[in-house]
Amino acid sequence: MLRKIWAIAYKELYLTYTDRNQILIILVTPLALATIIGAAFSGFLSPGGNDVPIRNIPVAVVNLDAGTEANGTTINNGQTFVDLLVPPDDISDEDLAANTLYQLTNAIETDDAEAARAAVDRDEIAAAIIIPADFSASLAFADGTTITPVEVYGSAASPTAATIIRSIAETITAQIVTGNITVAATIEALTARAQDDPAFGITFAAASSLGGFQPDFAPAFNPDNNPVRIEQQTVSGEAVAFNPLVAFGAAQAVFFMMFTALTGANNLLEEQRTGTLQRLIASPTPRIVILLGKLVGTFFKCVVQVTLLVLALTLVGSLIGGELQFIWGNNLLLIALTIIAVALAASGLGALVTSLVRSPEQGNVIGGVIALAMGALGGAFFNVQAIPELQTLQQLTIVYWGVDAFTALSMNQTDIGLNLAVLLGLGAAMFAAGVVIFTRRLNI
Amino acid sequence: MDAIVEVRDLAKQFKRQNGEAFFAVDGVDLDIMRGEIFSLLGPNGAGKTTTIAMISGLLNPTRGSATIGGHSIIDDPIAAKKLLGVIPQEIALYPTLTARQNLEFFGRMYDLDGAELRTRVDEVLEFIDLTDRQHDKVETFSGGMKRRVNIGVGLLHNPQLLYMDEPTVGIDPQNRRRILDTVVRLRDEKQMTVLYTSHLMEEVQQISDRVGIIDHGKIIALGTVGDLIHKIGEEDRLVFKVGDQAVPEALLERFKAEVEGVSSATYEKLEIKGENGDAPVDIRSTSSLQIADGTITVMAQRGRKALPDLLQIANQAGLDVLSVEVREPDLEAVFLSMTGRALRD
Repeated sequence: MLRKIWAIAYKELYLTYTDRNQILIILVTPLALATIIGAAFSGFLSPGGNDVPIRNIPVAVVNLDAGTEANGTTINNGQTFVDLLVPPDDISDEDLAANTLYQLTNAIETDDAEAARAAVDRDEIAAAIIIPADFSASLAFADGTTITPVEVYGSAASPTAATIIRSIAETITAQIVTGNITVAATIEALTARAQDDPAFGITFAAASSLGGFQPDFAPAFNPDNNPVRIEQQTVSGEAVAFNPLVAFGAAQAVFFMMFTALTGANNLLEEQRTGTLQRLIASPTPRIVILLGKLVGTFFKCVVQVTLLVLALTLVGSLIGGELQFIWGNNLLLIALTIIAVALAASGLGALVTSLVRSPEQGNVIGGVIALAMGALGGAFFNVQAIPELQTLQQLTIVYWGVDAFTALSMNQTDIGLNLAVLLGLGAAMFAAGVVIFTRRLNI
Repeated sequence: MDAIVEVRDLAKQFKRQNGEAFFAVDGVDLDIMRGEIFSLLGPNGAGKTTTIAMISGLLNPTRGSATIGGHSIIDDPIAAKKLLGVIPQEIALYPTLTARQNLEFFGRMYDLDGAELRTRVDEVLEFIDLTDRQHDKVETFSGGMKRRVNIGVGLLHNPQLLYMDEPTVGIDPQNRRRILDTVVRLRDEKQMTVLYTSHLMEEVQQISDRVGIIDHGKIIALGTVGDLIHKIGEEDRLVFKVGDQAVPEALLERFKAEVEGVSSATYEKLEIKGENGDAPVDIRSTSSLQIADGTITVMAQRGRKALPDLLQIANQAGLDVLSVEVREPDLEAVFLSMTGRALRD
């Protein structure tokens, strides 16, 4: 059984990699595109290191946060965004030049959210960060699950800049949340100790009643006292947190791989037309083995294609950066798993589409439309993150989950379990449906 | 001789585009004996391809059963298919693979592997006389060579039953002769049973031990070629073309009276027809004419033996015979007799 599956898969691979036209479509075209993408993003990876040449991204910070009271102290977390992004009027040129975020953005503070959004729509600014009125209140002693989100309204015309601003906003929010949870945990620990240790409790109560216990948490949000924040905001730091080459390169790789998967599966219909499929069915080979052989062949083609593109984009990034740099992150195991999951999902999609169409021509047209739609929604052509209306829809695409995983891995984040589960689940479900439908078609 | 294929009440129903159901095959009963060449003959759409598709396991029957070597093609398809070699009408090969690669790939589908596979591929290449071209891609082959590889794939696992679907379509006479010889060799040298379909009754008549004639999804005649011809009578038909010469009735009577075995003699005079085949026509008002020679048709039990006597009598009567054609009874005539239609209609 396995021997036959491999024989069919090997035949698929052999036919593909001995066909110049197929090699051109599967490997050369995406490689050429990857190079063009690399050239387009070469400014991000200049020979001088990792400094981002983009400067002065115009952004509006709208702080509507009403703040919250804690121990007689008013905390306004929204102000933290303003403090971090908008330089004070009296800042010296030296301090301005030394602050990376001030260099990266050209932020202004405003209290009119609608005006800020309109400015984004007119493409006067790349994005607007709008902090809601109950932001601090929702954060107070919260467990992190009921926080009112910060809105980043990005410009579709400036997708890269909008994505950078979004990344910055996410990081600041994460830092604030972490800080609040730490504070809450500290106070809870002090209270618990006061209950357990009467002597400490008396001292603690006295200090509190006399106003002597006035914890100052402000330093937690001071950029100078919070190196982690700067580290994460490494658009210009020591590690590349957001690399557009990864996002767009991965999107292109997954997009082209979907074509490979759809073409590979469509080949089954071509075999039906030429009679080789009937010949296989007339042999003592179960239909499921034939279909699995085809799927395995398509799967390997997809894996090879994405792997080569990942390596090629690494080479492009390294050439542009002037030194060898693996732009996909450090976790090779998860990178390999992501490639496998994406390839399986695409192969499953190919099997499903093939089972539903009646001819290779129909398969090419419908498959092409599906690949283009998924590519567009998944971010292969423009940044869908900047268009809120499409953000839900894009989660239906293989490209989105694949690119999201690659992007996360490139930032050395490893929480891609959901991505892998979705991709593997989609692949298994679509392949199973494809097998059932196609087998039923053959069992006429 | 025992049957290797047993088909009972086999039927397949399809639906037309307008939703109307119809039986492409309707209650076929058939036994194919071990070691015989059995041909299924019928016009296009008669149901022979559907019948074979069900026996090969490509289609599920609507009702009935089919077994190969005692294994049901429905309940035990893998065992049944191991006994069956299939040679489809179309060239079902991978054109960018070499002849050897094609044979090796399909050999693996028939559970051949390793040294056994290599040996069988070598033997088949020798059998189809393509050993010297085994490493060439199939797409570079002539039509006849592709046909031979196509046949070779079906022979790889030494099947007990070989199904050949119109294997001589679209090839030159030399390669056709070669393929027909191969079919006979497979029966005689390897004791293979061959199930052969064709619409070319000449080659069916030439190689078949038994023939089944199928029409409208039913077997309408079954037996040896001789049996079938015997069913409609054994007379030869002799056709004499005499142009525009008049043929007296007395000459026809002499044919019947003086030549042994002649049962009838009829005369059709020269006819001039219009472009629509209508006759008679006004030749001054028509743009094209069809001229049918006057013909004498003689039915005789042994036509070739009667021919010299017939010609001598015609000569004595002063008749100048332009041409003579002897038509011996064939499967075409059988089909015509049983259905009122020609096989190629």
